[in-house]
Order: sequence, then structure tokens, then C-alpha cells
Amino acid sequence: MWLTNAVRNFWRKRRTDAELDEEVRGYAEMLAEEKIRSGVNARQAHREAKMELGGVEQVKEQTREVRAGHFLETLWQDLRYGARMLRKNPGFTIVAVLTLALGIGANTAIFSMVDWLMLRPLPVKDAGQITYLIAQLKDGGYENGFSYPNFEDIRKQSASVFSDLAGVRPFQMDGLQADGKNLQIWTNYVTGDFFEMLGIKPALGRFILPSEGAVAGADPVLVLSYSYWQAHFDGNPNVVGKRVSINGHPVTIIGVAPKGFNGALAILDTQGYLPFGMAAVDLVAKDDFLTNRSDQEDLIIIARLKPGMTVADAQPVLNVVAQRMAEQFPKIDNWQSMRAARLTAAPPGANSDPAQPLTIIAGLFLFLAGLVMLLACVNVANLLLIRGSARGREMAVRAALGAGRRRLARQLLTESLLLALLGCAGGIVLGIAGGRLLSSLNLGSAIPITLNFSFNWRVFAYALGAALLTGIVVGFVPALRASRSNLNDVLHEGGRTSTVGRQRLRSTLVVAQVAGSLMLLIVAGLFVRSLQMVQHTDLGFDPSHVLNMSMDPHEAGYDAAKSERFFHDLLERLRALPGIQSASIAGSVPMGLYSYGSSLKIAGYEPAKGQKAPSAGYNSVTPEYFTTMHIPLLQGRDFLDSDSANSQHVAIINEAMAKEYWAGQDPVGRQFKVDEDPKHPLEIVGVVKNSVTGSISDTIGPFFYQAFAQKFMTPATLQLRTTAAPDSMTRGILGIIRTAEPAMPVFDVQTMTKALDTLDGLMLYQLGAGLAASLGMLGLLLAIVGVYGVVSYAASQRTHEIGIRIALGAQRAQILKMIFRQGLLIVGLGLAVGIFATLGISRLVASLLVGVAGTDPLTYAAVSILLTIVALTACYIPARRAMRVDPMTALRYE
Amino acid sequence: MTRVQTELLQGTLDMLIMKALALGEMHGLGISRRIEQITKGTFQVKPGSLFPALHRMEEEGWLSSSWGESENNRRAKYYQLTKAGRRQLETETQRWGRISLAIERALEA
Repeated sequence: MWLTNAVRNFWRKRRTDAELDEEVRGYAEMLAEEKIRSGVNARQAHREAKMELGGVEQVKEQTREVRAGHFLETLWQDLRYGARMLRKNPGFTIVAVLTLALGIGANTAIFSMVDWLMLRPLPVKDAGQITYLIAQLKDGGYENGFSYPNFEDIRKQSASVFSDLAGVRPFQMDGLQADGKNLQIWTNYVTGDFFEMLGIKPALGRFILPSEGAVAGADPVLVLSYSYWQAHFDGNPNVVGKRVSINGHPVTIIGVAPKGFNGALAILDTQGYLPFGMAAVDLVAKDDFLTNRSDQEDLIIIARLKPGMTVADAQPVLNVVAQRMAEQFPKIDNWQSMRAARLTAAPPGANSDPAQPLTIIAGLFLFLAGLVMLLACVNVANLLLIRGSARGREMAVRAALGAGRRRLARQLLTESLLLALLGCAGGIVLGIAGGRLLSSLNLGSAIPITLNFSFNWRVFAYALGAALLTGIVVGFVPALRASRSNLNDVLHEGGRTSTVGRQRLRSTLVVAQVAGSLMLLIVAGLFVRSLQMVQHTDLGFDPSHVLNMSMDPHEAGYDAAKSERFFHDLLERLRALPGIQSASIAGSVPMGLYSYGSSLKIAGYEPAKGQKAPSAGYNSVTPEYFTTMHIPLLQGRDFLDSDSANSQHVAIINEAMAKEYWAGQDPVGRQFKVDEDPKHPLEIVGVVKNSVTGSISDTIGPFFYQAFAQKFMTPATLQLRTTAAPDSMTRGILGIIRTAEPAMPVFDVQTMTKALDTLDGLMLYQLGAGLAASLGMLGLLLAIVGVYGVVSYAASQRTHEIGIRIALGAQRAQILKMIFRQGLLIVGLGLAVGIFATLGISRLVASLLVGVAGTDPLTYAAVSILLTIVALTACYIPARRAMRVDPMTALRYE
Repeated sequence: MTRVQTELLQGTLDMLIMKALALGEMHGLGISRRIEQITKGTFQVKPGSLFPALHRMEEEGWLSSSWGESENNRRAKYYQLTKAGRRQLETETQRWGRISLAIERALEA
């Protein structure tokens, strides 16, 4: 019934309207005739009839409103009318749409990042049920690496909440020899249940079976990732059954993982999967890795919750398991509790609460993007308000023609929603472009990291939601005002309506805008300062003219002795080359992939109560290392060729270690033991200056170096100090290595200076500063437009008043002051609000900064001054225009 | 005016219109005069309420309309009750009777 009526009303609209008109007019005529019959004169009768009727158009409109389909019809009208208005004012439309597009675009780009890191489920069956386990330690830390026996115990004891558990030994770099080629492959060693738990189907062949992987060295099979298969085996289906070798050990390729599956830790592009037992072929793994509880805690446990179970449901069981394990193995598993966390692309952070930093970063940047959005909204709301007062007459005329107030308000809301949707379209385009840009970032890391900030329905829903909210927020106040305005006032007063109330609202909006952009700029400034601090960190070594090349002899099937001989001969050959000052080998390099640490036993050192057992980071280096790196030797001697596997094991320690464990004593000649190798006590032969050894932001702690001949490490990095530009030497040196051993994989060939810009170096800081600065600049731009808009509009509204003042003898400087004072008041209030608001979030921000406090007064002051200058410049233009008002023109105006 | 009252009044207006049309077809002014007459002037229906009500009831299917000549040879839209309209009038009348009886009792109690 409703539908047929609605359709009929729509198709026969013209006829129905004409009939309605005739009907209502006829009524009035008949009413008049009735009155004439009763003796009233004709003119009087018509007048009375009209008064009784209460307006033909109003009656018609009221009648139309009850018709079926009325809402849709008027909506369509509103849309058409709105579109026409936007077309008629292209300047306004372009500015508003662009502003909104920038706001929505920034939000979309940031959100697609957050979406990928934290929201997007893995491409597996019921991804929402997949979790990974984190143990909270008694000393407050977190741990997500477990030993294999741990894994078995947890699996047995948590069967009531998890349907499947699998262990992943994440990210191992292996050498793959196939068809006479030497390839590198980043692998996961997974327990047999891994693929079954994920519930995915292989693109080709089969996966590792639950029965495989529990015996060391058994089940020599390999599953390739789809992209690796495409890249290195040309997508050839015959790859299944192919015999290849991993680090020199024969394995058979049994299958290919589905497209788009990057492994359970999706940020890292896992290229191959081996059964966990095959970790035995890895020289680094200890032989007893399947039974050892304490040394091999590197298994990440991934667990599938039973259908219908939530993380919270699993908690009580996990608490019990953690307690039981802690009681059973108090020395090893000092666990307070254990919890399950949803697994997304973001990698489980090692030894820290993995959720925290990412949540803060995501929250902060979403907040900043939201601020940009707010600023954009305020700008557009201001534009709409200004237009609203210009359109007061139009609204009054429409009201006089029978439009209801609700209808007028709806019309304005429709227009602002239309604007917002246009802005949304533009914003999505900008957002996708921004996401692409972020995805294509070269992280300069040897690890294959996949960034995939692609567009999907969640991002779309977010952008659309933001746009709709914007449309309503932006259009609400103007619509309310338009619908409340008094018809008579507007029609009578003409253009010069009293605008005090409106002006106040607009000023408040601009105060909010200045405050918001101040927040954005301060945060951006803090990030930039933090980057500067990191850039000026005293590295303790000289990165210029140093070339790094990593090699992994174990991938070529070398054992320790053979590797050492290889390196020794290589160094001899290279040192003879012209242009090379010094050459050395190191197990790890600053900003590199690998870093090592161990707990120590130091004779005569007792840790104070509550303090941890002594520990230190370490590296293993050949003689000449300190010369190559330009790390000054403060005391004692460098390593010598005579420090061999059979002589007394020696160590060179850094200042921090000397200060920490031998304060006030001469450390040279003293001994300590490394927990991993208690049979070989180390004698300290030298002390070197502190230098950065790991990530650039790490504080420099106790660190020692061992002689490479006494502590073999693989992979290892060849480091060369050159006299010429190090880049120019690369090819020749690669040639020498290849001649010496064609099968030797060489990777991470990069200058030390370049390494500083990678993920472990400055990259994150550059990225954060860049992102925050872009948002800050966007905010500044929007604030300038806002301040300029409001002050110049206010000045133009006061042209008449200014004219009178000048005519009455006001000095131009006084006029300037008057306009300026208003601007200053707005800016000052905005600054005050902004500073307080920023102080409110400063602690959160501070957790992401290095070397700068969240309340850094310099940043606050500099940004406030910058914003004041910019805002006052924005005030100056309208103020000068007002100053030049010609009193005669102003008075004649209107 | 609260919502309950509006609904009551709207229902009442519908009922009065249908009651007026029960005797035969009529145009807008005729209906409004007829209502005045049968309620002895208690209800004066303004065109702003009458026309929306007529059009709504026509869409509900209670009334049908046709164009005809008025007493003074003027083209006018005439409304008449449909079958559904008569049924509706009956239900409304019964309902109204129940309500007024109940209220009467309530006031007497």
C-alpha cells in the first residue's frame, strides 16, 4: 500500500500537485462565496476566506507532507538543490571539499596503517580465535619465547581452552641450494600442528604433518611461500618433490603455502617452513633443543581458542598453568602469570609487553589525525556559518513560501553531508595514495618486511563514518541557526543582521582550532627534536668510510674451523689491497640484525639485594676491529693473532662494564665467566671506550668483546675501513670473495653510514618525525585559513562601524589595534588551551621520545611563537584592509 | 500538547470525517461544514488539518475521490467512503464508545 502510493505519487506528482492546488483554491473560493451569500462584500469576503484558510501554500505543503514517499521525494529535492548550490559557489565548494579531503585522507592513511598492524586478521580460518602466549615474569618483564618442553607442558595443560597449539621458531636465515644456485631463505621452524591449526590449504602439494617435527633431524621436508616459489622457482608446479638442500643438508620440497599467507607473524615475510626437529641442521641450535628447558627459549606459541571461547575465558586456565610451571621449575620459569593475546600482523615484541608501544603509537597517531580532522571540520563549519548568514534571506524567503523549519534545517544538513561525501571521495583517494607511499617505504632492512597498508572495507567504513560524522558535526550548528532564525527579523533588517552571537561562536571555533594545531605542532616538534637528539648521539665509533658485508659460512655447509680459516685467508688478501686501511670480522654490527647477551659470573662481585645477576652484551671480533671502527682503546691491548682457540680466552670490555663491575679497580688481568661457556673463563686484556652496539636508541650498557678465534659466530660481518668512498670498492671485494668460495652467501652489503638510516638506526625516528611533521603542517595550514577567515570576515562585517569611527575621528592605528586585539585574544586563548591540552598528553608522547622530555620547554615556546607569528600575520591582512576603509564608501554601503 | 492527546484528536478527526461522509459524497468545505453541524459547532476543522487528513485517509484506502460539479457549478473534489472506510468507521465508533464509557465511569467514580 505505502509503496504503490509512493510510486504513484512520484510518477503523477505534477498532476497530483495541480489537483491539490485546485482543491485548496476551490475551498477558498467556496468559502468566500459562502460569505458573500451571507451578506459580506466581495473584497472583505475574499480577505476573510484567506485568513481563515491560513495560506494556500502552507496548507498545500502540510498536505504534501502526509503523502506516502514524501520523505524520499524531498530528500531527492534537497540533494538536487544542494548539488546546485555547491555548483553555484565553486570557490566555497572547492575549499570545503579540499579541506575535508585532506582531513579524511590523513585519517584514512593513518587508519590503514593501524588496521594492518592491529586489526586485520591473518588470512587463516577463524582468525579471531588465533592467539599467542605471553608470560609475565616475576621481575615485571614479559617473555614470549618458550622452550620446547615448555610448549609440550602448556599444550597438555591447556587443552580445555585451546583446540590446537603450535610452536614457531621464528625467522631463521638459511641457505637454500637448488639447481646449482645459492639462495637465501627466511624460514620458520614449526611444530607439526602449525598448518592444521591455521586451517589453510596448500596452493600446491602438502603441508608439514602433525606427525612430523618432533624428532631432531628427522623429516627433511620444506614448504615454500607462494611469493618465494614465484620468485625463485618461476611458479613451476614440478617443484613438489624436488630435492634441494638447506645449509648443505638435503631436504625435499613438499608444498607451497597459499597466496597472501606470509606466515603467522605477518609483518615478516616468511619464505619457507621446516619441521621443528629440523632445527638440528642449524649450527646455532644446540643438540638438546628438544629437551633443554633453559637455553633454547625461542619458540613462539600460537594457540587456537576453542570455538566460542574468548581470551578472557582462557585466562583462569593460563593462570593455573603459569603457577604450576613456576612452582615446578622456579629457576627457569620465573613466571608470574601468562596470557593469550590476539595475533595480528604486528610482531610479538621480544621481552616486552608486546601490546604496549604499538597501542601507544597507533593511539597517538590516530589522535593526531583526528585533530587534523577536527581542524578541517572547524574550518568548514566556519565557512558554512559565514555562508549561512549570507543565505539568511534565502532561508527566510523559503520559510515564507511554506517550508517548515525542520525542512530548512534538513536542507542545510543535506548540503553539508553532500560536501562531506565529496570530501570523503577525495580523502579516500588521498588516503590510498598515502597508504601506498607508506607501504612502498624501503626499510633498508635485510629482513623481508612486508608493509601492506592496503585499502579494504574496514578502512572504507572508517573513512565513510568519519565523513558522515563530519557532515553532521559541520552542518549541525548552521542548520540549527538557520531553522531558529526569526523570519521577520531577517526580511526586515536586510543584510545587516546582528552577528554578535554568530561571531562569538566562530571565535570559539577558531580558539579550538589554534589549540588543536598547537597540539599537533608541539607533538611534531617533539618528534623532530627527538630525531635530532638521536642523530647527534655520540655513536662512539666513526661510521664514515666503513663498508659492511655479511656472510654466512654455515649456509655454505662450513663448520667453525673451516669458517675461521676462510675468514683468516680472506682478511689477509683484503689487507693487501690498496685503498683498504684495515679489515676485520665481527659477529654483530651496530644497527645490524644480530645482537648477543649473556649472564656472567664475576669473582668478587655480589649483586646488591633485589638487583639482577651481572650480565652484558657481547660481540666476537678479530684483531684490527677497533682500528676499523675507530673505537679508542683506553687501557691494555687489542686482540692478537696469538689469541687462538687453544690459548687463554681473553676479553676486551667497554668502560660501562668496567665501571659497573670493577668500579675503582683496574679491570685488566681480572677474570669472569660467561654462563653459556663456564669452561673457559675470560681474562680481561683491555678496556675500550663506550660505543653504540645495537639499536641506536639503546642506552649503552656493559659490553665485552671476545676474540673471534675463541668464539666463533655465524653469520659474521666483514668490516673494512677504506680510504676511498667505500661504495666504489664493493664490486672488487665481492669478486674476491666469490673466487675464494663460489657458494658463500654474501648479504647486507652496505656502508655503515647507510646502515644508520635503517630500521634499527634512525628510520623509525625519521618516520615518526616525518609523519608527525606532515600532520603538524596540515594543522598549521588549516589554522591559518581559520584565523584569517574569521578575522577578515569580522572586519568586513564591521566596515560600516569602522567607517563611522573614522568619520568621527578615530586614528587608523586605533582601528588596526581594534582588529588586532580581537585576533590576539583568539590566538592567546587558543595557545593557552592548546598548551594545557598538550601537557595532558605529554606523558604518553614522552614514552615514544628519546632524549627529549614530553614537556620540553624549548619546543613548547618555539612552537607557540611560530604559531603566534603566523596567526598574527593572518590577522594583519584583514586589519590593514580595515584600516584603509574609506569612511564615505563605508557609510554609503547599504 | 502531549502525544496522547494528538493521537486521540487525530483519531477523532478521522472518525468525524468518516461520519460526515457516511451519508454520501461531499467536497472539502462541505465536510467541514457538516462536522460543525453534527457537533453543534464544537469542532471547527481548519483546512490545515482537513486536507492532510483527507489525503492521508485516501492513501489508507478509506476514502475515494472524484471530481464533480459543486452547487455553484464550480469544479470540486468529492470524497466518499469506501468499503474499507465503512469498516474503519465501525471499529472507530466502537473503540470510541469504549473509551468514552470508560472515561465517563472514571470521572463518576
